[in-house]
Amino acid sequence: MKILLIDNNDSFTNNLEHLLVKEIAGARVAVVPHSDVLPCAENVANEHAKLSFDVDDFDLFVLSPGPGKPQDYSGYGPLLDSGKPVLGICLGMQIINEHFGGRISRLEGCFHGRTEKIYFAGHHLAVARYHSLYCEIVGQGLEVIAANSQNVPMAIAHNERPLLGYQFHPESFLTEDAGVFIDYALDFFGISLL
Amino acid sequence: MTTPSIFSESVCFDRFREIASHFVKLHNADVLLTSPGFGECGQSFIGLFPDGELVVCAEFLAVSSVDSYADSIVLDVKDFAFSDDRPTIGYVSYECGQAVRSVSTEKSTQYPFVHLKKYKAVLVHDEAESRVKCLCADDELTFSIAQEMQEAGSIVDTDLPNISIQDVSMSLNQSEYEDGVRDTLEYIKDGLTYQLNLSTMLSLRLDELDPAAWFFALNKNFPAPYYAMFQSGDKHIISTSPELFLRVEGGKVTSEPIKGTLHFDDYYPELEDELTSSPKEDAELSMIVDLVRNDISADCKYGSVIVENHKSVFAVDKLLQMYSRVRGELAEGRDCLDLFFNAFPGGSITGCPKKSSMELIEKLEPHGRGPYCGSVVVINGPQDMVSSIAIRTAVYDQTTKDLTYWAGSGIVIDSKPEAEYLETLAKAGKILNPSQS
Repeated sequence: MKILLIDNNDSFTNNLEHLLVKEIAGARVAVVPHSDVLPCAENVANEHAKLSFDVDDFDLFVLSPGPGKPQDYSGYGPLLDSGKPVLGICLGMQIINEHFGGRISRLEGCFHGRTEKIYFAGHHLAVARYHSLYCEIVGQGLEVIAANSQNVPMAIAHNERPLLGYQFHPESFLTEDAGVFIDYALDFFGISLL
Repeated sequence: MTTPSIFSESVCFDRFREIASHFVKLHNADVLLTSPGFGECGQSFIGLFPDGELVVCAEFLAVSSVDSYADSIVLDVKDFAFSDDRPTIGYVSYECGQAVRSVSTEKSTQYPFVHLKKYKAVLVHDEAESRVKCLCADDELTFSIAQEMQEAGSIVDTDLPNISIQDVSMSLNQSEYEDGVRDTLEYIKDGLTYQLNLSTMLSLRLDELDPAAWFFALNKNFPAPYYAMFQSGDKHIISTSPELFLRVEGGKVTSEPIKGTLHFDDYYPELEDELTSSPKEDAELSMIVDLVRNDISADCKYGSVIVENHKSVFAVDKLLQMYSRVRGELAEGRDCLDLFFNAFPGGSITGCPKKSSMELIEKLEPHGRGPYCGSVVVINGPQDMVSSIAIRTAVYDQTTKDLTYWAGSGIVIDSKPEAEYLETLAKAGKILNPSQS
């Protein structure tokens, strides 16, 4: 199974790579900086809204966390509209939300480097959160599938496309039973490992 | 390839420190010195009679040339360190970290990016075994070093200079530092950083300082595991660091990030609970643990990266410090310098996410960090290295008589500007007010 992990200048991307390899049998993960593969201003050669890779070369795309807001990371549109499975983590989830017209706002008090227990697909697990911003309004076609006690969206999914986002960090050492979240994603995308 | 002639004899730590002091005074030796009681970090080194050095000088870093320049630094360091099997000792500056992380700066620096040396002889002391051995290819020199070791006298107790804060100029004074904390809190709210290490630079002229006497007196009075005294041109780098950046032993990787600080006057055990039960200090450390996991994962085998002893506590300089141990195993085809430069500078002194935090630090701090927040390193081979994070670090310039020291604090969303300033001053305590620290 080939996974393209797109790095948004983050410092947890290698943790995510190691988690994907651990939890997905036979996973081969390529990590690329977003500015190398997306049609954004920093990448003049691709200014005609083209991705620098063929989406059919990969089975799954993962958008890493990262500093800042979705508007700082333009160029994900063609990937999100390609029909290929995309899992967004933290900023990655906010990028998906932004693409469908959702609103990202400052989260009162922020939440960094701490865990919170959430209900997720029949589980009650402590998840690590690192975020200053949150999905205040979810975009069209997106659904909140898990939220915390304050109703801050913790996981969103598209109701037609294979797009899934986690606001929390399954790759953190603080997150309990991270495999649950990877298994759920594969199941949601209809990716079978055999 | 040199085949070292080795002698090995029984020497306790205190005696080794006297020997180190002797060789520094007589031969300008470079020294990496631990202190007793810090567990497995108990190796000390004396580098004698340098016969090779690598100085990678800082240039003005134009944005466009940053990446290629970084690659050439790594290659140069590997060529030098792995050219033979002798130990390499030296330091890497924070500005080198800016170069390898592609963070552009317009500040000029008076410190080389990298200064490494090889020596005709290196004395290695192992605290646990109470033994010293000499790595030297020259039998005659080995013999004379053994002779000279006998002559080393005791270290004369000297008073530490008591420096008045009024004589010190600070790159960020109290109100500027607190403004920096407030700016950082806004960056945190914007999601540009979760934690950012903000430092200030303290400088003063100190005509009468004997840097070697000062170094050994500090080591005696303020034990810490990663002391180092390294001569770089006219400058003495004097590091009293308690923090391990990376240790690689036969390909096994350990990092021990420190985050969470509690200043105390009299120690009692409940203080440790006060530190470990603080949600703020807990979050500070947890973030950096995830960051360090990330940083070593780039060169470690899949599945090998683990966290041990999360939220351990130790005391140093009248501060309780919390730390964790992150371990991993070098991946096939990777060496300790791949690891070093992919993980550099250490996450505990940048913040997280690293590159974004470093870009903000560049805006917030008017000073360059130089050796501070860089690393003092001994490279014993492609799979063996010990490197500290050069915090609690000073530079004494023998020509200008300027003493420069830096101190900083990790800013998170719950940080209070004044408290962070006071923590920063506490970390400068052993320099500013040694008699009260």
